[in-house]
Amino acid sequence: MPATTAPDTRPEVDEATSTADAWVTIVWNDPVNLMTYVTYVFQTYFGYPREKADRLMRQVHEEGRAVVSTGNREAMEVDVQAMHSYGLWATLQRGGQ
Amino acid sequence: MRAFRRQKGRYVAQLDAGERAVVASVVADVAELLGAGRLEDSPAAGPTSSGPTSDAGASAPDGWTLRTSPVPPPRDPAVRRLLPDASRDDPEVAGEFRRLTEDDLRARKVARLRTLWTSLVHGEPGWPEHALVVSPRSADDVVATLTDLRLVLGERLDIRTDADSEALYDGLGDEDEDDVRAYLASVYGALSWLQESLLAVMLAAPERPGAGRGRSDG
Repeated sequence: MPATTAPDTRPEVDEATSTADAWVTIVWNDPVNLMTYVTYVFQTYFGYPREKADRLMRQVHEEGRAVVSTGNREAMEVDVQAMHSYGLWATLQRGGQ
Repeated sequence: MRAFRRQKGRYVAQLDAGERAVVASVVADVAELLGAGRLEDSPAAGPTSSGPTSDAGASAPDGWTLRTSPVPPPRDPAVRRLLPDASRDDPEVAGEFRRLTEDDLRARKVARLRTLWTSLVHGEPGWPEHALVVSPRSADDVVATLTDLRLVLGERLDIRTDADSEALYDGLGDEDEDDVRAYLASVYGALSWLQESLLAVMLAAPERPGAGRGRSDG
């Protein structure tokens, strides 16, 4: 399982969002989900190209977590719920944290 | 057990009667954990049918209900892994998320489990009895449901780290494990293999849609 601290990672976001309303969805590493499955989920749900989905999957696997989407709180709740539906463990938080 | 292959536009695996029964019982167990009662007892009931619930909160009646009071996190760690906290350090965020989404998430997972259970128990008309037939349209639900099954088994097997997971695969077939653990581990291994093979045919499929949720930040 990933380390429980380390709030030092700079969120990898592909699109700037205004800071006031910026929340992020984070996916955490877990020992059960298959790497191919995590990539599949990122491609299928977010519509990310294979390369980006694969890069995010590797970041989750190697660093313990990755920011997979950004937006307002409601949008992030939708994304987190979708990740939970797929069996990935995701959380949301303010982007600046 | 034979891995998923593409056959007549469907994704088809083969599980003999014993294998189907084992997987179906895991499916039923996970549905029960999510508060669905026993699938065997309610073949025609809807996904949110009430009945004895194990770890569910108040059972959701038909349709969608908006909860106005907090929903406590599930006590069983396996259920909590299926319905996890949406924040590690902010109870307000986690509580609000659980209040808004948990019933819906439970219902979706139970509905998918029920569909897979029906396929396993009743088979597919027009196909050999050992065939587990998945349509491309339902493959996303099936592959996610296989994840839910593996998450619960992984929790019961105390798989906490990537090293635990590797050790479990390495130890498959070892004789010195106790019977229950060896059984769960072999089921876990088989479901992992089945899921991997389903993903492989899905990813190779020409009709694979470039789905996406419709927002444009990709």
